Amino acid sequence: MLACSLSWAAACGTNQPGGDGRKVFRYGARTGSAKSLDPVKQFDAASAELIQNVYDTLLEYHYLKRPYELTPSLLSKMPELSADGLTYRFELRAGVRFADDPCFPGGKGRVLTSDDVIYSFKRFADANTNEQSYVLWQGAVVGMDEFREQTRKLGKAVRYDRLEIAGVRKLDAQRFTIRLNHPNPLALLPLAASQLAIHPREAVEHYREEFERHPVGTGAFRMKVYSRRGVVILTKNPDYFGVYPSEGAPGDAQRGLLASAGKRLPLLDEVHMPLLEETQPAILQFLVGQLEWVAMDRDNFLKMAYRDERGFHLKGDFARKFTIYSEPMLSMEYFFFNMDDPLVGKNRALRQAIAYAFDNAGFISEMKNGRGAVLRSPVPLPIAGSQSDVEYDWYDHDLELAKRKLVEAGYPGGKGLPPITIEYRASNTSVRQEFEYRRANLAKLGVKLVPNFQTFSAFLDRVDRGNFQMMSGGWQADYPDAENFYQLLYSKNKRPGPNAGNYNDREYDALFEQMKAMPNGPERYALFAKMVSLLERDVPMVFTYSPIAVGMNQRWIKNFKRNMMIDTPFKYFDLDTAKQSKGFY
Amino acid sequence: MLSYIIRRVLYMIPVLLGVALLVFMLFNTVGEDPVRVALGQHATAESIADLRAKWGLDKPLPIQFLEFLRQIVTFDYGRSFNSNEKLSDMFAAGAPVSLMLTVPPFVFGLILNVSLGLLIAYFRGSWLDRISTLLFIMAMSVSYLVYIIFCQYLFAYRLGWYPILGWEPGFAGLRYVLLPWLIIMLVTVGPDVRLYRTLFLDETSADYVRTARAKGVGELRMLFSHVLKNAMIPLVTYTMVSVPALILGAFLMERYFGLPGIGDLMITAVSSGDFPVLKGLTMVLALIYSGMALLTDIVYAWVDPRVSLR
Repeated sequence: MLACSLSWAAACGTNQPGGDGRKVFRYGARTGSAKSLDPVKQFDAASAELIQNVYDTLLEYHYLKRPYELTPSLLSKMPELSADGLTYRFELRAGVRFADDPCFPGGKGRVLTSDDVIYSFKRFADANTNEQSYVLWQGAVVGMDEFREQTRKLGKAVRYDRLEIAGVRKLDAQRFTIRLNHPNPLALLPLAASQLAIHPREAVEHYREEFERHPVGTGAFRMKVYSRRGVVILTKNPDYFGVYPSEGAPGDAQRGLLASAGKRLPLLDEVHMPLLEETQPAILQFLVGQLEWVAMDRDNFLKMAYRDERGFHLKGDFARKFTIYSEPMLSMEYFFFNMDDPLVGKNRALRQAIAYAFDNAGFISEMKNGRGAVLRSPVPLPIAGSQSDVEYDWYDHDLELAKRKLVEAGYPGGKGLPPITIEYRASNTSVRQEFEYRRANLAKLGVKLVPNFQTFSAFLDRVDRGNFQMMSGGWQADYPDAENFYQLLYSKNKRPGPNAGNYNDREYDALFEQMKAMPNGPERYALFAKMVSLLERDVPMVFTYSPIAVGMNQRWIKNFKRNMMIDTPFKYFDLDTAKQSKGFY
Repeated sequence: MLSYIIRRVLYMIPVLLGVALLVFMLFNTVGEDPVRVALGQHATAESIADLRAKWGLDKPLPIQFLEFLRQIVTFDYGRSFNSNEKLSDMFAAGAPVSLMLTVPPFVFGLILNVSLGLLIAYFRGSWLDRISTLLFIMAMSVSYLVYIIFCQYLFAYRLGWYPILGWEPGFAGLRYVLLPWLIIMLVTVGPDVRLYRTLFLDETSADYVRTARAKGVGELRMLFSHVLKNAMIPLVTYTMVSVPALILGAFLMERYFGLPGIGDLMITAVSSGDFPVLKGLTMVLALIYSGMALLTDIVYAWVDPRVSLR
């Protein structure tokens, strides 16, 4: 049996691509099955990483620039805003075509028009098709909420040709306007989200339910093979309009990231995306040169990499063969205090004591191998207005100060203080280890922390009912703006909204509303500083850390820069096929 | 025999009803709420209500249960909550992969392990028996996952004899399941041979064996014609109950070797509260188990003339 299987396996050996000059990129970080390839029906990363390659949005994030910046994608230029700050005027890029597909007459993809944009907006706003992501644009566009309500009433009988969104108006085949309910500098951000990718009516009507597995877009790639739980293969769209950016962030030119400036995209011929649910086999496949890009988990990081004051590095032979990348993620981890709880909610000094007692730097170093940044505000580092731009006062780990605060709270040495329960949304090893670290932090103070590990839905039920003292949470940016993080403590977002702790402070709310309508800059940052000082005073939340994504590339990849707003920016990647075909074995 | 079969088929109805009720109760009491899992922590009450209505989870439980019964009778379990794919398509895509992964090592393993069991039972108390017992117990003490990680590392990564992971439809997919086959056989050889050895030992010490030997029956004929035949009842039972598990594949194997089979589908459905997938798979499995139990009884009568079906 062994001999037989060996001879068979040897006869079918894997060929390293690149030898024929075709650029085939093998992606090693597809860890989950996509839920849906219908842009408006998905709200998960696994779907978005496919959709962003086969569809386009009106706007997209600049691949190289940081902080993240919007740039036109399907538009010929950035939208123009009217003098009253309420109406945006859009102009589509000329000659953009949908991929050839049997859904079009003669199977030939047609030119994109304003009607496609309006149709996509309507499907996004339709309560019958989009249950999950409407919140991204809720309340922003004139008549869109009313349109949604109508679709809910009409159900499947809804006819888009008889129902309009009052604030969206077609000017001609290439131009349209959007009118906002209020001046809102953030209103354009959802236009770069995959849920608002532009798709043709013909494909939706032709494929019906199967449209979720049969994308028809204008994107840099077309779906050649779609296997939800196997390998997805994307193939180059030869008619794609995009070109490689000619500007980047400081240092990008020196790192060779502008070498392809002005070149027609995409630079790859094919992308292969196997589903790799377990890290270990993915890493092994990467090590033998059969994948171009993998993420690193804690165990593999320990084995293969380290962090020092200069950054992240690979160890020994790994450093010779591969390159390592790191990029701060647009997310943050935190603990919420329930401000309605009679113990932790009503005792500010107790919350302050806990904030001093949590050793976040130690947690990142010991539990995350340094793959994180301590936060001094709720805003992750790559976002404008974070601690990279503004100096914030926040709690540094200090056990002596923590003890003094505990005395002030009325519980010297923790005497008389009942155990405090903290809610977790899972019960896996990583969560349990995290709890143990926090338990040890507070034990030094004499405070007993008790965990409640539970299923996700049980956790949500408990939090929604306000039946908790502390909860562990995390927030991933919907868009790269500080507002998306400060809103976690805005009183109008109280439970079951994102302000799960029910923090309620009028001054904070006023500052939030004021900064929401402002562009980034010193004036807005000054408001952020005031808001953080209020949070420092009241401690409704303890920010813990912002994770840093770390992974490895083969040395034959060109133009790689991790972009946290574009999970899979394949259209910008290039390969040195001569090196790829040789591998290193 | 026909009346027996008809009676047993009718008995399956309350069994399947019980399974359906149990699955339904478990899903609605201890399982994840699929709507909350799908929408995440900060979903609005409106979107929660919309999705609950779309999936029919807003209806009273008895109505939902009746709908479930209708699905069982019509074999139409609808679409997955997770991906909106038709269950029939998901099963049709996953089952061949799982069967390709599990059936060959099951068949080869059965032949190999029964032969080894017979051989070791025949040499009871010898050095072969003692060494094999030691080796098999050691092999049984190692976790399934360790076998997978070790073999994948050694045979696929270090030695390069097999692909590390992957899958292609059709005949081309064979090369990706070769190493999993070897691992499955490696994992099952210990417990199976130990079990078969015990079964055969019970038989080799029976009176009829002594009588056969006294009458001059050769050892090989005695082993294969008498011992093996008399040990068939427990052997058939053990083998038949293993068959339904074949369709489920081997969940860990599927995850580590990138095989899109049914096992991984089931585990993902459990963690995400994908009730249609769970319902469909559980009922199909219950049906296969019931069918195999009936088939086992029929095989009993075939292999052992003392058994009659009435």
